[in-house]
Amino acid sequence: MQAEQEIIDRLCEKFPFLNSRIHVQRQKRIFTGHLIKEEFEQVIRYLHDEMGFYKANHVVGTDEGENLGFIYLLTNKEGIILALKEIAPKSDPKINSMTGMYPSLERHERELVDLFGAEVQGLPEGPSYPLPDGWPKGNYPLRKEWKPEYFDKNTMTYNPPVNDNDKGKH
Amino acid sequence: MDENKERMESRVNAENKESREGTEGMDSKENRKNQERNRVVIPIGPQHPSLKEPSSFTITLEGEKVVDAVVGIGYVHRGLEKACESRTYIQNLYLIERVCGICSHTHSTAFCQGIEELAGITIPRRAAYIRVIVAELERLHSHLLWLGVAAHEIGFDTLFMYSWRDREKVLDILAEICGNRVNYGINTIGGVRRDIDSEMMQNILKMADYLQEQLKYYLDLVMTDQTLSARLVGIGKLSYEEALKFGVVGPVARAAGIMDDIRIIEPYAAYGEIPVKPVTDTHADVFGRTVVRIKEMLESLEIIRFSVKNIPDGDIAVKAPKRVPAGEVISRTEAPRGENIHYIRSNGTDMPDRVRVRAPSQANWQGMRHMLQGQYLADVPITIAAIDPCYSCTDRAIIVNSESSTEVMDWQGLRQYSIDWYKKRGIDVSQVKIPERKLYV
Repeated sequence: MQAEQEIIDRLCEKFPFLNSRIHVQRQKRIFTGHLIKEEFEQVIRYLHDEMGFYKANHVVGTDEGENLGFIYLLTNKEGIILALKEIAPKSDPKINSMTGMYPSLERHERELVDLFGAEVQGLPEGPSYPLPDGWPKGNYPLRKEWKPEYFDKNTMTYNPPVNDNDKGKH
Repeated sequence: MDENKERMESRVNAENKESREGTEGMDSKENRKNQERNRVVIPIGPQHPSLKEPSSFTITLEGEKVVDAVVGIGYVHRGLEKACESRTYIQNLYLIERVCGICSHTHSTAFCQGIEELAGITIPRRAAYIRVIVAELERLHSHLLWLGVAAHEIGFDTLFMYSWRDREKVLDILAEICGNRVNYGINTIGGVRRDIDSEMMQNILKMADYLQEQLKYYLDLVMTDQTLSARLVGIGKLSYEEALKFGVVGPVARAAGIMDDIRIIEPYAAYGEIPVKPVTDTHADVFGRTVVRIKEMLESLEIIRFSVKNIPDGDIAVKAPKRVPAGEVISRTEAPRGENIHYIRSNGTDMPDRVRVRAPSQANWQGMRHMLQGQYLADVPITIAAIDPCYSCTDRAIIVNSESSTEVMDWQGLRQYSIDWYKKRGIDVSQVKIPERKLYV
């Protein structure tokens, strides 16, 4: 796992804030901790421009309680996957689109918008994906507080119990 | 073949030159206005634009040439990932298997090996070999299905019927091994659920011999038939650089010369012990994708023969815990359509915290707009079909009847329904006599 360690060493040297926040999980897998927007963007640009991570496989959105997590999976020529994590608060879930560097991410970032309610700035224009046109605003089905049992698909409305009213809506 | 190829390439080059000259000549503002006035926007779909699955294509045409295409997908998104979060790992195994009807095994393999990695389980070698055999049989039937669909799209229905006839042989073997033609249910967390006995092994080898001859014939056909090359060469171009840029995977990437095969890059199951030869091509068009898929099937037969010959004796599964330790994992397999990635996060309970499936079609859609631009409208269906799009993969669907009631209709019931449907709209076809027939009794 020398190649993986070399990548980590080089990144830590360039970005001291990554120290102890990046590790080799197993062969061909590197995971980072959650980075804030500014840190994340510096690292992903460096990985793309200088370190040969030419391909972005996809983005996984996660619900981190008060925050939203975004895991960008990047691959280099040796097939090493680096899972670079970004975090943004649910109260202000703004992130920048990475489609400028990685056009392959377009549809995955649209999913973050529809399913997690992230505000991805700089996404190219195009049809929304994957929720249908009549989907009620403010309903983000992959957030943990959104429960499928409260959604009425005939009227396309979300009806949580009264004491649960604020949950699931943003 | 070489003569054919040269002829086709010169045709394509001449056309490109023509279109370039056409564009250069249109420099003045008035010409550009005229050009825009001549554009026609055609919405195609979402009902069955190419394959029998829903997606919409808004195609902008100039004459018969496509100048832009907007791809709309997502019609069969059913929230499968959300459903996974409220089910146990074993229940999810069956749910995940139904992500796709064609490549169900690759999804359940990716899911199982992810859970096994989280739980620290090593599966028995025999189980790993059985996973490989079923995976390659799945690749065979998926590619044969594709070959038939592609042939149908260009009006070559004889090849479509030949190819689907041969696919039945593979499905028969899969049914013999797994008890089912699709959704095999062979994988379980910790190994596989059914063993393959020596009689089945012999049947697999017999099928492989039969298929070998057929596939050689198809390869020869594709390489020499003038009609096929006229319809396939130079269509749906996606160069090496463009394929890298759009992040396409599987046969679409390999047809552009990119060696992208998870079986080789990151061997899983028993692929580490089995020689897998990479299949690539440099045509970077629909023709290349066809050649790659046929050659891959021949390679699959070699892998199956090797596995049957070298499969070790022993158990087929180990016991797996119901609760999985907290952690996260990225599991990859090579599906018939390309790289399939599952991300699973566990929280120490018997249900996952997050499951994310990135099926290969989701990656391949990205280059579609580019592939369609500059094509003739008539080539749109084959260009779409050539990425072997799997809508259910992309949308991660389970097919459910969303109406309030579900009923299974027989032939007569279906006929009555259509008669009533037309009657309501003022057309009475109830007096039309059709001969009695029995269908699927």
